[in-house]
Amino acid sequence: MKKQKTILVVEDEKNLCEAIVDILHLKKYLTLEAKNGQEGVDVALAKHPDLILLDLIMPVMDGMTALRKIRADTWGARVPVVILTNLSATDERLVEDMIMHKPMHYLIKSDWKLHDVVKKIEEILITKIVT
Amino acid sequence: MIITMKSFINTSIICVHIVMVGFMVVSPCSSVEAASKSDWISVPPAATAPLGELVTDNPALFDVISGSAHTGTSSSNGGLTTKVAPGESLPIAVKLSNFGGGQKVDVLITYSIFSNTGNKIYSTSDTVAVETTADFIKIAQIPTDASPGTYTAQTSIVYPGQVTPATSQFSFTVERKILGIFQSDVVFYGGLTILVCLVSVSVGHIFVKRRRAVRLTPFDYSSIPHDQRTFYEILSDTIMEMRQRVGDDALLIATKIDGLSVDEKTGRVLLITEHPSKVIATLVAKYEELLGKKVSFSFRRQGKPI
Repeated sequence: MKKQKTILVVEDEKNLCEAIVDILHLKKYLTLEAKNGQEGVDVALAKHPDLILLDLIMPVMDGMTALRKIRADTWGARVPVVILTNLSATDERLVEDMIMHKPMHYLIKSDWKLHDVVKKIEEILITKIVT
Repeated sequence: MIITMKSFINTSIICVHIVMVGFMVVSPCSSVEAASKSDWISVPPAATAPLGELVTDNPALFDVISGSAHTGTSSSNGGLTTKVAPGESLPIAVKLSNFGGGQKVDVLITYSIFSNTGNKIYSTSDTVAVETTADFIKIAQIPTDASPGTYTAQTSIVYPGQVTPATSQFSFTVERKILGIFQSDVVFYGGLTILVCLVSVSVGHIFVKRRRAVRLTPFDYSSIPHDQRTFYEILSDTIMEMRQRVGDDALLIATKIDGLSVDEKTGRVLLITEHPSKVIATLVAKYEELLGKKVSFSFRRQGKPI
């Protein structure tokens, strides 16, 4: 039997987080939730999800710092991360961080429907199985 | 002694019977029903005379040829069939030729139209005075209740002293019209239009798909040093994605970014001369300005499992 994939959703907006989790459950994924970057790092390193969906602007610890910490871990260096944010990539430093820590996608919330975000997640996980 | 000779004149249109008693009978043989041998004139004994004593006072001897005015009377319809709609007029071109004496004769012409089952749906007569030849067009009115099908327009003549019947006929079809166009033409041209549209759409679709495939195929930057490659890839992919969304304006914008050299036709990133992160941030900002939307982008995999 195929193992259910687990996705960690790191998102401080409760409504958005719930909506994403609901869709992922419909698609038969298991989910983990974190309300900020620090919580996200803790859950990720403890539970080793198959993919992390990460917001950037969050309280306690921002998403890019969380990503840096996750990438510093041996497991975390290879976990696929999808950034889902409203932060525009027009800042040189943000671009540099992003290139350094290599998320799979940098998706703008207002530009993407949740179903399309889930499609992207599915694509990554399918490709991961194939490769 | 009577010598009867049958020969064809005018490539099967007119059949000439020469009776060597001093006069000649001409009857049409093309669409005109040719007189069978039994119809050939029987020359009364009184009319016979020794050779050399030809009768000089020839009686009138008319031939009639008719056809659709669209195709004329000179030959067969050349494969064309005249089409008329119920209620429309059928122009019948008529040619009368007198092969006999040169006197003016009143010729009664009867025009009839028969259905393919033999029912007469139209008939009218005219009298014309003809001396040698006469060409004219008769307009026959097709009844409005004529059902679609093949019909025969028959023209026959009667004149004083006539010794052989002269009749000519041609076929035509009656077909209903839709918005002033014959049904069969609607089907034909409609089908042709649909076919042309389908072919055009298919060709267009293939063209667009091919063009899109070319545009969507990421450029290979394996020749770029590894530490720089990601910048080339992200810039190239962002330009490509924006090109899909806003067209070639995306290329134009990219070519104007300081520190970025881009192939103006393909969008391939040729060279980054300034700090790559700054170039990417500037390009994204320009695109956001153009779109009024924030720009998302994706990273390429490094060809190994994550």
